[in-house]
Amino acid sequence: MSAPDPRSTLGDALVPGRHGAGGEAPVLIRERRMEAVQVIARRERVDACAAAVTAVTNIRLRGPNRAIYRGDLMAVWVQPRNWLLLRPWIGGGALPSELRAACGENGSAVDQTGGKAVLRVSGRHARTVLEKGCRVDLHPRVFAPGSAAVTPIAHLNVVLAQADDAPSYDLVLPSTFAESFLEWLEMSAAEFGYEIVQGNR
Amino acid sequence: MRLAAGGRIDRARRIEFRFDGRVFEGHPGDTLASALLANGVRLVGRSFKYHRPRGIFTAGPEEPNALVDLRAGARREPNTRATTVELFDGLEAASQNRFPSLEFDVAAVGGLLSRFLPAGFYYKTFMWPAAFWEKVYEPLIRRAAGLGRAADAPDPDQYEAMHAHCDVLVVGSGAAGLAAARAAGAAGARVILAEQDFELGGGLLVEPAHEAWRTQTLLALAAMPDVRLLPRTTVFGFYEHNVLGAVERVADHLPEPPPYVARQRYWTVRAKQVVLATGAIERLIAFPGNDRPGVMLASAAEAYARRYAVAAGRRAVVFANNDWAYYAAFALKQAGIEVAEIVDVRPETAKAIATHHHGIPLSLASEVVAVAGRKSVAGVTVRPRGGGRARRIEADLICVSGGHDPAVALASHTRAPLRWSAELAAFLPGDPVQAERSAGAARGVFGIAAAAHDGARAGAEAAEAAGFRAAAGFALPLPDEAHHTPIQAFWEAGVPGKSFVDLQNDVTAADIRLAQREGYQHVEHAKRYTTHGMATDQGKTGGIVGVGVLAKARGATVEQVGLPTYRPYVTPVTWGAVAGREVGKHLTPTRRTALHHWHLRHGGVLQETGLWMRPFYYTATGEAGWEPILREARAVRRAVGICDVSTLGKIDVQGRDAAVFLDRLYTNTFSTLPVGRARYGLMLREDGIVFDDGTTSRLGEQHYLMTTTTAKAADVLEHMDYHAQIVWPDLDVRFCSVTDQWAQMSVAGPKSRATLQSCVEGLDLSNAAFPFMAVGEGTVAGCPVRVFRVSFSGEMAYEIATPSYHGVAVWEAILAAGRPFGILPYGLEALNLLRIEKGHVAGSELNGQTTARDLGLERMLKKSGDYIGRVLAERPALNAPNRPRLVGIRAVDLSFDRRLRGGAHLVEKPGSSESLGWITTVTFSVELKRWIGLAMLRNGAARKGQRLHAAFPLRNESVEVEIASPHHVDPENERVRA
Repeated sequence: MSAPDPRSTLGDALVPGRHGAGGEAPVLIRERRMEAVQVIARRERVDACAAAVTAVTNIRLRGPNRAIYRGDLMAVWVQPRNWLLLRPWIGGGALPSELRAACGENGSAVDQTGGKAVLRVSGRHARTVLEKGCRVDLHPRVFAPGSAAVTPIAHLNVVLAQADDAPSYDLVLPSTFAESFLEWLEMSAAEFGYEIVQGNR
Repeated sequence: MRLAAGGRIDRARRIEFRFDGRVFEGHPGDTLASALLANGVRLVGRSFKYHRPRGIFTAGPEEPNALVDLRAGARREPNTRATTVELFDGLEAASQNRFPSLEFDVAAVGGLLSRFLPAGFYYKTFMWPAAFWEKVYEPLIRRAAGLGRAADAPDPDQYEAMHAHCDVLVVGSGAAGLAAARAAGAAGARVILAEQDFELGGGLLVEPAHEAWRTQTLLALAAMPDVRLLPRTTVFGFYEHNVLGAVERVADHLPEPPPYVARQRYWTVRAKQVVLATGAIERLIAFPGNDRPGVMLASAAEAYARRYAVAAGRRAVVFANNDWAYYAAFALKQAGIEVAEIVDVRPETAKAIATHHHGIPLSLASEVVAVAGRKSVAGVTVRPRGGGRARRIEADLICVSGGHDPAVALASHTRAPLRWSAELAAFLPGDPVQAERSAGAARGVFGIAAAAHDGARAGAEAAEAAGFRAAAGFALPLPDEAHHTPIQAFWEAGVPGKSFVDLQNDVTAADIRLAQREGYQHVEHAKRYTTHGMATDQGKTGGIVGVGVLAKARGATVEQVGLPTYRPYVTPVTWGAVAGREVGKHLTPTRRTALHHWHLRHGGVLQETGLWMRPFYYTATGEAGWEPILREARAVRRAVGICDVSTLGKIDVQGRDAAVFLDRLYTNTFSTLPVGRARYGLMLREDGIVFDDGTTSRLGEQHYLMTTTTAKAADVLEHMDYHAQIVWPDLDVRFCSVTDQWAQMSVAGPKSRATLQSCVEGLDLSNAAFPFMAVGEGTVAGCPVRVFRVSFSGEMAYEIATPSYHGVAVWEAILAAGRPFGILPYGLEALNLLRIEKGHVAGSELNGQTTARDLGLERMLKKSGDYIGRVLAERPALNAPNRPRLVGIRAVDLSFDRRLRGGAHLVEKPGSSESLGWITTVTFSVELKRWIGLAMLRNGAARKGQRLHAAFPLRNESVEVEIASPHHVDPENERVRA
């Protein structure tokens, strides 16, 4: 018997379609179902751990405030010697075991797929909406595609990464707080109108 | 009266509004104050202490008098300054502090008693007896002295926060502010220009000659993509690290906010550089009757004439000590208002010739000593300064100008010192402490052209300080005529009488002198004793006048006396804006388990436990009170139940030194734990008090999974981080929270094994293969699970963990498997009932005061090897034999209605006030069929079998109890191993 498809974290809370005020440029909100692995380098093994990750993912891990997007994969520094690697769920859920095997004793690869929810927020007003709760400067002169921050928004510890200059932002949230965050996001986006979009791309 | 021409109002459109029930008309561009004056309304309120009639004194946010209740019902907002309220259609306002009506106010007779309400009257009158403070005096003071009434219904509007960053924040959009913003913007800086008014321009709005420059500058700013203009935005505070707070009144000018739009927005601005172009505030002069409706700042009368095309009176007298007031006089004259006379305290002025040209009589070296009229000015009495023949001038408007105070509040918030300028008779901002600079009138550079040049300089400097290169210049207004006679400091007319220095708090010059005589000489003491400058206007128009009066009384200079400390907020901020979105259930975030919506759909009654929402029980139709809880608990004791325990803290620990780390963290040993087994662990704080408990499993040689209590999960992780990073950085151990990764459920009861055997695949659950405290992996409905044979209920039990996205699938599969055995989901109440029956400690016993020995857990303290808390746990007082120890209690009476209560004290006899201990937690036992509980009791072990009384004086209850072992059920622990 194969495992059933994982349930969406926010499936019970997301109501697809247009909401809030009418307007030409609604904020687009989409849940991305992603595998998530927290890679923690062991003591004095940071380089070896990073090399192991590169071997599996072809991603070179970087330091604070940077997110690396390579193909479907995304890697972001979350705290000293800790990175989060994310990949859209494509059935197998193999990323945790691949990374666990690669890291060996150089690092812990802890499956956080169930512990994280990822929201993609995009559109012309996306930045303004996030500025209602995010203290980090998101102006394009300062924060561009590939920029990331670990920062409180709506009381929660959020990993924020910019994917493109639409702009689109990926917000990695604690799964147990994701619905609470969504409430804040919907309130904040309502003045521009927003659309809950389905699909995992 | 509305003037026939001029002003910045839209005469083509009319706006209807109500004041005290009467219907009036105004125009877009009006404030409530200008519209009231246009309709001839001069009496708008009663004063705070004496209930004296009051009118409109200013044309801006510094207004002390014209405070009204704005709007009605849930949107009613008291103490709103009519001078800043933008008129909207259907606006409703009411005067405050009067009964039964504004015209006839009963309490105004208090004015006759005013000699019995001296400075410090609170302290003198309401002294004793102390029993009267809260019950008599405070309600009396509040009733007599309150101004408006707050709305008592919940605010229907929304408020929100906004975080902004910029290179240069410019506060104020007068000539200096506009020029600064343009200079900084032209240099390429990201600029925010905040203006409290609904129109940008500040002093330019009363200068038709400079309108072209204002318009042109605004167009240039609008064309700069990184310049953000924020009208209706008050910067209220300047904090550490160049963080400033501001409130944008997004929808206050509308009857109600449009759908989805916040009424106000609370901005937190992080600015690399700040230009304070906050202008200056005209100050009053103290003379008897200077509070009568019709007495107004000269600049305000000018603003009403020029900006709003309103004559604030028919015939004006200007009373001044400086040349700037003459421009106001000329503006009034130009607008068609008769200016009866300018009364100047100075012996000469450079404006004398111009005054003559305008045909305005001028009295030099003179002062106003009296005002005729009560509810409206009818005339003034003028005499040569210091004495001489007094004469009366008929007038209905007295325009006062005691000079101009640079608006230094924001600069002062940064702790920048203030510097006294004798030349300007004003305090100016001194050397900056943070990355800010003042410009224009805010630093005493008066006049449109001078301020604009100063602003352009400040804007360019700020941009350069933020790393930009200033661009070429742009057109600035041409200099004004420059011949001025200096201001002469003048605080008070030289006659006795009610000369107010603080109009809003009804403080007179005599009050200041009384404070000085009674020993309150320091400006901060005099302020508090008299309440001078403590009203919502913070003494913006009369603060320094009081200082001047105090200085004279002390025989000191104004510079020596100084100003009281400025603190945020510069002007009042509504509490709604401060709260923003964080109201009601949004005060804190809500945490939901993966099974949250399943619980909701299946009758779960969810309640907050910390941030988590947890099912307390599941209701079936017709059940009441404790019935569902007892039903769920019985299911566990007799058959099987399932409970969502996903909220337990879970920490993944890995590394070569993981075992060593856990041995030090826990009081018992984990390095000896075999792989595939779990062990109960106890943690102490460094001070030897019990910190937390939970089961920890060994998943691999270098891999453990810890569980913590729900309440302490974050604290334990922080405790571990501290020790791993600071205390033992040499250990190779890494850990992270996996609380959210796993949905976890407890399956408990004599039929738990049978239930799981029919749904768990890939794991032999027989007692031999999978004994108590075993850990293994398998699948349920194809979903991977970890199975832990641990028990909190005292029954045979298992905890099943699965990645949270499989939580519902696994939960439903177990329910289906347990159906033949009568499985029921159970909630937190039944969970608690079961653990009390079993005598397991939880939050009410792990309360930060108990030791392992107090809780009967001394066997958990290992004999050899160090652990956190070991040394301090050995302190004698923590081991005193008479410390309260954990015991069980059982009600002697079997009646459900004779309940026990947590928090009750245990006493020998009913009525005794000698407490022997207290009840930590209670429940109604399904096994013993009576109320039972856990308690902390002195000499607890020795009292087993005794009878005591559980006294709960708050409800006047006393219930007889028997002292027992805390393990009410299965003390030999046989069921868990079955």
